[in-house]
Amino acid sequence: MALSGMRGLSVFISDVRNCQNKELERLRVDKELGNIRTRFKNEKGLTPYEKKKYVWKMLYIYMLGYDVDFGHMEAVSLISAPKYPEKQVGYIVTSSLLNENHDFLRLAINTVRNDIIGRNETFQCLALTLVGNIGGREFAESLAPDVQKLLISSSCRPLVRKKAALCLLRLYRKNPDVVNVDGWSDRMAQLLDERDMGVLTSSMSLFVALVSNNHEAYWSCLPKCVKVLERLARNQDVPQEYTYYGIPSPWLQVKTMRALQYFPTVEDPNTRRSLFEVLQRVLMGTDVVKNVNKNNASHAVLFEALALVMHLDAEKEMMSQCVALLGKFIAVREPNIRYLGLENMTRMLMVADVQDIIKRHQAQIITSLKDPDISIRRRALDLLYGMCDVSNAKDIVEELLQYLSTADFAMREELSLKAAILAEKFAPDLSWYVDVILQLIDKAGDFVSDDIWFRVVQFVTNNEDLQPYAAMKAREYLDKPAIHETMVKVSAYILGEYSHLLARRPGCSPKEIFSIIHEKLPTVSTSTIPILLSTYAKILMHTQPPDQDLQSQIWTIFSKYESCIDAEIQQRAVEYHALSMKGAALMDILAEMPKFPERQSSLIKKAEDSEADTAEQSAIKLRAQQQSSNALVVTDQRPANGTPPVSQLGLVKVPIMSNEKIIHGQDQSTGEQVVAHTNGALTIMDPQPPSTPSPDLLGDLLGPLAIEGNTGIAPQSDPNMGSGFEGGTNADALAIAPVEEQTNTVQPIGNIAERFQALCLKDSGVLYEDPYIQIGIKAEWRVHHGQLVLFLGNKNIAPLNSVQALILPPSHLKMELSLVPETIPPRAQVQCPLEVINLQPSRDVAVLDFSYKFGTHMVNVKLRLPAVLNKFFQPITVTAEEFFPQWRSLSGPPLKLQEVVRGVRPMLLAEMVALFNSLRLMVCPGLDPNANNLVASTTFYSESTRAMLCLIRIETDPADRTQLRMTVASGDPTLTYELKEFIKEQLVYIPVPSRSAAPMPPQVRPTSPPNAVLDPGALLAGLL
Amino acid sequence: MPVAASAIYFLNLRGDVLINRLYRDDVGGNMVDAFRTHIMQTKELGTCPVRQIGGCSFFYMRISNVYIVIVVSSNANVACAFKFVVEAVTLFKSYFGGAFDEDAIRNNFVLIYELLDEIMDFGYPQNLSPEILKLYITQEGVRSPFSSKTSDKLVPNATLQVTGAVGWRREGLVYKKNEVFLDIVESVNLLMSSKGSVLRCDVTGKVIMKCFLTGMPDLKLGLNDKIGLEKESQLKTRPAKSGKTIELDDVTFHQCVNLTRFNSEKTVSFVPPDGEFELMKYRITEGVNLPFRVLPTIKELGRTRMEVNVKVKSVFGAKMFALGVVIKIPVPKQTAKTSFQVTSGRAKYNPSIDCLVWKIRKFPGQTEPTLSAEIELISTMTEKKSWTRPPIQMEFQVPMFTASGLRVRFLKVWEKSGYNTVEWVRYITKGGSYEVRC
Repeated sequence: MALSGMRGLSVFISDVRNCQNKELERLRVDKELGNIRTRFKNEKGLTPYEKKKYVWKMLYIYMLGYDVDFGHMEAVSLISAPKYPEKQVGYIVTSSLLNENHDFLRLAINTVRNDIIGRNETFQCLALTLVGNIGGREFAESLAPDVQKLLISSSCRPLVRKKAALCLLRLYRKNPDVVNVDGWSDRMAQLLDERDMGVLTSSMSLFVALVSNNHEAYWSCLPKCVKVLERLARNQDVPQEYTYYGIPSPWLQVKTMRALQYFPTVEDPNTRRSLFEVLQRVLMGTDVVKNVNKNNASHAVLFEALALVMHLDAEKEMMSQCVALLGKFIAVREPNIRYLGLENMTRMLMVADVQDIIKRHQAQIITSLKDPDISIRRRALDLLYGMCDVSNAKDIVEELLQYLSTADFAMREELSLKAAILAEKFAPDLSWYVDVILQLIDKAGDFVSDDIWFRVVQFVTNNEDLQPYAAMKAREYLDKPAIHETMVKVSAYILGEYSHLLARRPGCSPKEIFSIIHEKLPTVSTSTIPILLSTYAKILMHTQPPDQDLQSQIWTIFSKYESCIDAEIQQRAVEYHALSMKGAALMDILAEMPKFPERQSSLIKKAEDSEADTAEQSAIKLRAQQQSSNALVVTDQRPANGTPPVSQLGLVKVPIMSNEKIIHGQDQSTGEQVVAHTNGALTIMDPQPPSTPSPDLLGDLLGPLAIEGNTGIAPQSDPNMGSGFEGGTNADALAIAPVEEQTNTVQPIGNIAERFQALCLKDSGVLYEDPYIQIGIKAEWRVHHGQLVLFLGNKNIAPLNSVQALILPPSHLKMELSLVPETIPPRAQVQCPLEVINLQPSRDVAVLDFSYKFGTHMVNVKLRLPAVLNKFFQPITVTAEEFFPQWRSLSGPPLKLQEVVRGVRPMLLAEMVALFNSLRLMVCPGLDPNANNLVASTTFYSESTRAMLCLIRIETDPADRTQLRMTVASGDPTLTYELKEFIKEQLVYIPVPSRSAAPMPPQVRPTSPPNAVLDPGALLAGLL
Repeated sequence: MPVAASAIYFLNLRGDVLINRLYRDDVGGNMVDAFRTHIMQTKELGTCPVRQIGGCSFFYMRISNVYIVIVVSSNANVACAFKFVVEAVTLFKSYFGGAFDEDAIRNNFVLIYELLDEIMDFGYPQNLSPEILKLYITQEGVRSPFSSKTSDKLVPNATLQVTGAVGWRREGLVYKKNEVFLDIVESVNLLMSSKGSVLRCDVTGKVIMKCFLTGMPDLKLGLNDKIGLEKESQLKTRPAKSGKTIELDDVTFHQCVNLTRFNSEKTVSFVPPDGEFELMKYRITEGVNLPFRVLPTIKELGRTRMEVNVKVKSVFGAKMFALGVVIKIPVPKQTAKTSFQVTSGRAKYNPSIDCLVWKIRKFPGQTEPTLSAEIELISTMTEKKSWTRPPIQMEFQVPMFTASGLRVRFLKVWEKSGYNTVEWVRYITKGGSYEVRC
């Protein structure tokens, strides 16, 4: 080639190759670059030969990975050289050194165009290659028509037209909007008639791209494609050089079939018939041969044909033929083919009806599970998982279980999860399910996630018939010499609950059970010990008549763990010990666990999640989705005794906050923060809607006035703005939530806002009451979890109908309300547990949308739930040594915020201490030398922040009790801000006097206009 | 004494292990892989000589084309470890006859293993002095114990030699001509701003001696340093001479120097080892006489042209001269063409290091040659990256000049037999990192 003449270049290349290490190479390259720079800068200019040589060198250096940022001009100028060697290097270097965004390319466009429309076909090829390689927008705009012309021109040689087709393809892919393809269907049809295989293949690539974008326009080409396929399949008119191992142009076949898959269906019966004929031929004619290349080619065609068959939804016969073929493939020795066979079978599952046929190959698939190649094993597992149904579940699950003990560690978790899901989905009977899961835990304890054993406990608890069986099984497993810790957990739990059902059997007396469980205690970790302690307590409770010996043994254990360092264990030990002293009361307290509410299996959810990650397995996913409706087949069969029939999903669908709204809220809050930082003295925090009645609000530095202005407009503002109104005042978000007119006929008893405020400070009380219903609430808070129970009490002698409760949680809380029965019987009380998880600090309040029908009255109330910020506090006393370093380490915004609060409701210091303590902010006396100052601390829990220490300092002014300075610090900026605002709300909050001007939910009491239209003056008076 | 090394590895530039020796079993044998992947193959190489990876500390230094890596898992004495490496390299060099590189290691595997066994035990450094080790570890072949010829050389008693009062010198040396050579070698480090103000300046110096003396001589060295002179004037109740006194920082002595006597009398007295050794090292930060001043002016004329004028002034005595002066003036990477005018020496553009290199073989004192260069840059595709203007670097050697002004006042040799000795004293100043910003 052209290099042969350039001695300097070959010397340079051999120099570089002879370099001992990278450093020497760099030195050599830098030297050469210096040389090239000098040469290019030479006034005398370079001969074309020299220019060519240095540009080649530049390209070589560039290919070695060095930065070449000069000489592009020379490269581009070579394009216009008349001779081939120079032109060639110009084109090559330009297309590798420059990308579409370089300005230099503009210089080249014209030359390139001249080459394209010129008559020299080698130059045409070079130019087309460059355009295809760079494919920039400008190129597309100015050159696409010329390229199109070349493609369809009859005077060009096939070589050029081939390149033109590929070049156009690239331009089209890159800028589909620039390349004008309107009316191209005729031309494409014409091109598909092409006899030359090379041009046809390139055109087919272009066609695939065009069709993928818009198949409507190219219907007319469909028969042509089928013709092409026919021609290839019959091996008519295919030149020797386009047959590959006897297969006529496999590439073209694959591309054509790919193109056909973009058309939804083939309507014309004739075309359809001939297409199927071709496919049939492909399916029949493919076999496994010795030659690897031939195999690859023929299988590429075959699998594409399979995909097309699946796409066209062919008749069953053909499908079964395909499956039979695949069945043959998964039996061959060649791993690649086996892999493809399994994968395609999994895809086949998508197109329904072949399941039965696939089932015939079950044995073979199971054999593949033992393949040495892990990717094949995975595919086999996927396929087994996908093809499982009630009829073969037992076999498959047992097979999986058997395989589990020998499977790789990498697969075990997936395997156990899948086995558990299949067992749950398709269990023929429940005892089998229990058997399977226990076996699973036994065999792959480390890989069994907690969800799996939680689920089995749920099942056993909810099925009385199952309990003795499960207990017996658990007992049997405990006899084994070494069992996994998870097994200890399950067994201990089940035996604790149900061992008394076995009492008559040999070896199952409480004492024996206790001793066998207790044997395991020394081997388990701290997370299991609490479960064991509960089991002991349960055993003790079930032992009737009490066994003194056993009792003393268990008590010894309890007292031993009373000083355990783990808080959970310690607490359990102390509590159980104390409880077990109580004798008869123990029976009530430690009664059998209530039934679990039915939930969607967390396992299936988990499997769906994990599959969402591997987007690949669309077929399985699709099937899983189809089947998710019968996911709880087993659980639905039994009537849940006692409780009214409920729908299968215990989970209340929570309305998902639209993104928009969240963003809106964030905008608001950042806006607020900006305000807070810029004018620190202001108490006003809320960005005002445009309708603000007091335009000079920001200029008004008087806090109370600002508050007044704010609350004044609150009722008028749009309810959507609610999320924005979380700032400085207690103008509650709820107050502005509108309720339909007709619901207002029932008057609530008592003041809802007042009740809410009271519930913010204590954990149980009445949330709402009206003549028909009373809603009480009882809450327990633990770290960032909360467990609320809503007591819905019907006060009447007639039932309440259409009872609906819907939780509208703010984004920071995760709430799960168990099902609320539709009817509340007369004079009855219904309890609805509500789980709350705090995700992140926020002052937003959750709203309970509660409605019921009494007679003809439809009543709808929206109630704020007292899951407020302070519920997630844990008061903590800090000493001066702990406080000050912490206080100092949190320096300045956003972790430490300070604000002067005006318009505080005047109170004595002692009152303030009491208020703080009731808010679970522990006042630590003696930390601040000034007696007028307060220092408080607390721990905040949420999922995002975990336990976070919060420190608060309040400096009061004895002369003016309406103002104080507050400093809040914590390790989380949001928390600091939210806490500061929260305390401020509490401090300026008016505890609703009966005459009050306090904001009252106007929609609940629309009959009291003085409350709805707030009197600023009154409010001011109340504040001062 | 803390441990200095758990293992030592010698790697070539590619990261292949040439030789390794594990002294303690608290590090795994594959630690060097961690070094290769976490240090050698990243850009960190050469930035920080101490790195901790997975509970192990790696100390490494590069000597010619060999990386020497010390791995420790406990809390080691880093300075001790590096000192050990440096001493070991000196030892190897004295065995191999000067060069220490990959080839030398490959050619001396057995010897190196033997030495590695000797110079460190269980991570604690042992005797590293070449004079003594050479007595026991020889490169000669093994002599059969049954050979009839008994060895003519008496193998000295190793224990006595190492533990004796003068462990570094063998008894019974005899020379016909008793000579002492003393070199004071200083290297000047300087960073100067373009305006000519000194930003950082210090001198590190060494006193190197070579002794060919008979018997067990006692030597006494007097320098014009401050402490020594003051003490002397106190003792002799004689006013200090008005001459310049030098304040030495961070003085370290060879182990042969009698420190108790230095502490009490402030004189350097010692029984020298035979042959060449480094008597003392010191550092000076105050009152440095800079041998050269560099006055650069670099103008960028437009996008593609630059003008460089550099004037170098020698400020030592007119009778002295510097040798091997090399001035490296950095230029932008896209330099294409250069033209020079120099009043002495030769200049050329070296694209590998992106510098104009100006070499002057002999540079007399009190002269100021200049270089003026015109540089043409090539235009580049990308937006012209602003040139960072690295400092001008300078290398030189000035014989018979000390940047610190240190002088030998006396060197006395005292031996029982009272022979006469010839003393040779030499001074030389070298450029260390001598940089001037431009």
